[in-house]
Amino acid sequence: MKKPQKKSNLVVSDTVGLVRSIQSKIGKSFLFLITSLSTFAVFFIFYFIFKDAIPFFQIEGFKEFFTSSRWYPSGSPAEFGALSIFVGSGLVVIGSILVSVPLGIAAAVCLSDLLPFKIRQIVKPLIEMLAAIPSVAYGFFALVVFAPLLQNQGGIILCIGTWLVLGPLAILAAILLSEFIAKIAGHLSKNANQIRLISLSLLLFAFIYSIYNITSQLLTIEISSGTNALNVSIILGIMALPTIVSVSEDALQSAGRELREGSYALGATRAETILKTVIPASLSGILAAVILGIMRAIGETMVVWMASGNASKIPTPWYNILEPIRTLTATIAGDMGEADHVLGSSRFHVLFAMAFCLLAFSFIMNLTSEIILHRSRKKTGSS
Amino acid sequence: MELRTRKLLDRSFSGLGISAIALMAIALLLILTPIIWKGSKAYIFKGTIEHRKVMLDHFDRGDSDQLEKEITATELIRAPIYRMLETFKTDMKEMSSSERREYRSAVRELEKGLKELFGPPPGARKPVLIRQQYGQSRWDRTHVKLHELLYVEEWDYSNPDAMGILIETPRVNQFKNTSLEPLFSYIENNIDEMMKPRNTFYWQFLTDKSKDSHIFGGIWPEVLGTIYLTIGAMLFALPLGVIAAIYLCEYAREGKIISLIRICISTLAGVPSIVFGLFGLAFFLNTIGVSESKSVLAGALTLALLILPTIIRSSEEAIKAVPTPYKEAAMGLGAGKWHTVMTIILPAALPGILTGMVISMGRAAGETAPIIFTAAVSVGAPIALFETLTQPTPALPWNIYNLCTEHEAVDEIRHVQFGMVFTLIAIVLLLNLIAIIMRARISKKLRG
Repeated sequence: MKKPQKKSNLVVSDTVGLVRSIQSKIGKSFLFLITSLSTFAVFFIFYFIFKDAIPFFQIEGFKEFFTSSRWYPSGSPAEFGALSIFVGSGLVVIGSILVSVPLGIAAAVCLSDLLPFKIRQIVKPLIEMLAAIPSVAYGFFALVVFAPLLQNQGGIILCIGTWLVLGPLAILAAILLSEFIAKIAGHLSKNANQIRLISLSLLLFAFIYSIYNITSQLLTIEISSGTNALNVSIILGIMALPTIVSVSEDALQSAGRELREGSYALGATRAETILKTVIPASLSGILAAVILGIMRAIGETMVVWMASGNASKIPTPWYNILEPIRTLTATIAGDMGEADHVLGSSRFHVLFAMAFCLLAFSFIMNLTSEIILHRSRKKTGSS
Repeated sequence: MELRTRKLLDRSFSGLGISAIALMAIALLLILTPIIWKGSKAYIFKGTIEHRKVMLDHFDRGDSDQLEKEITATELIRAPIYRMLETFKTDMKEMSSSERREYRSAVRELEKGLKELFGPPPGARKPVLIRQQYGQSRWDRTHVKLHELLYVEEWDYSNPDAMGILIETPRVNQFKNTSLEPLFSYIENNIDEMMKPRNTFYWQFLTDKSKDSHIFGGIWPEVLGTIYLTIGAMLFALPLGVIAAIYLCEYAREGKIISLIRICISTLAGVPSIVFGLFGLAFFLNTIGVSESKSVLAGALTLALLILPTIIRSSEEAIKAVPTPYKEAAMGLGAGKWHTVMTIILPAALPGILTGMVISMGRAAGETAPIIFTAAVSVGAPIALFETLTQPTPALPWNIYNLCTEHEAVDEIRHVQFGMVFTLIAIVLLLNLIAIIMRARISKKLRG
């Protein structure tokens, strides 16, 4: 649009008004066109991936792709069973979620409710840094630093991990159980306090001893290859952390101050307030955070390509994360270089078929998280 | 529940939360420390005389007279090695044929080790590959090679259940009671004099071309490629993203179409990066053909799509954060909507928009998957600006992958790999630091 009218003609003639309104319409539709570009981009992405995925299913059919785990794209006859690759992707996602979700939610709770403002100002840039580190740098770390460590000191690392996971759980369980025992014993005798203390210390001792037993067995494990599903799961878990923390922190914050104050007024401690009112109130937001974390993990390419071992077989047993695996993204990235020369062959199109599966999965996940977030926003908005 | 227990549970709950944060910080530290520590060694290290030779021969750097003197000094002290070797070879002629056979392979290995450590022996023909023309240019690598020279590595597989066990025996045992026996202690004792290590600050690592596929030299082609790709992606994504944000904030009326657009933006943000790469290949290269084959242009377009959602969202937030009185005052003075946007809202939102821009630049610089099929090549010279329309380029993220998985001498160039990762992380974190500072300033301004 042109420059505004001079101050003298405040009264606008009909023609000028018409020209102006046409101008503003044109300008608006131009803006709209540019805005809808991202919509076109999404449709184009779906269309072009789909277009190149179709020939594969026309030639090879669906059955082998989804049910066979024999992946020999360059053999003769070529075999395109991608089941093991799907399993690999799934395994890595489950592993990374197990790492990132408990840690991420605990950190989010800590950020939104426990830490004073000043420390929060320090922690937030830390999380941003975790998010900013490029995936190839994570992959490099996984391959060059972490994999040899896992291979040489695997037992010790597994031990430390087990202590980190089970230690806090054991303490919590001991406190809760001793409380339970004291409650029952309280009916029988008057020394409930003593019973509580004794059972607490006994339980703690028992738990710690059993963890010690587990870890001393873990120490004997020798990991044959450091590039395996465990390595990738841990690194992907760390990569998914920032997303989970920031989204679920937003959800926890939006649960509102009134809710917390109400709970405190009823005499609840901070832990009870968070566990029994704040987290249930923001559950949908946390769920959306977990979904976004899953998307981050399944869409990640470089880390899994570099550090997963790229072995297209299903681990035995299927949950054995100490074995190398292969994922969809890594297959696309790794095989495209070779398949590029054979444009139009099944070998080329199978990669698009995989990309389409990825795309469809992340689209559904994204839609789900959008719907969940939308609903929760509506709920908090209306109440 | 007893009050005391509840308090205890409360405390342990807080402890859990804080330990989660601590674990996260530790993870960040564990990842960054080795990369920064070893990465900085690509810039600051103990360089041997060989490093200075490479610098002089290939980059015209250093004092040639001084170096000449040093070279003569080192050659003088290295000379006995080759003399001893010659003597031993003449000795060998007088041995029985079985003894000679025994020693021949041992001598060959010894010569190979010497070549790797000190470069080709004096008087030998100049090898074709640059890496064979020089010895070890770094003091840490010198020690590794020296160890390989002094000890023979053997693997013991006698126990089939366990992994092989490494056994190291001194190489000198192979030459017991021959004229070569003193050679090993001579090298070990005089290695300092032979290599003349000196603290080197090789900042030109950033701006030098690589020689002989990264064995020597720096990483400028990769850095330049990354800069091209990042700025290119920004050139496409920033105008589109800001315009879209203006439309969504100021013009759009919430409705079906707008919510479709919003869903699409969030879908675009969730598309896996490797799918962007395939799309770039299928659309920009194979369908509309922005260039014959891989090019910076195609890569920048693909990256632009990838960062578009981030830019739209952050710009939208920046525009929304502009206080409404600004807008109302402008409107009240008779400015049109477009005029208000251009003269009032955009300048006020600019710092926020720039913050989003800087963050997405960091994202674009570090992305690998989208450029594998559209822009990146493993080796190449730095390309000129006009060549970006047609030529592919090496880029930091892709070459990190390439060097640590597909390079023929992976272990020899660890320092280059770490240097590259360090440089990439430094670029990205610097961009993020700028963004954080900018954001802090904005929030101060809004509060104050």
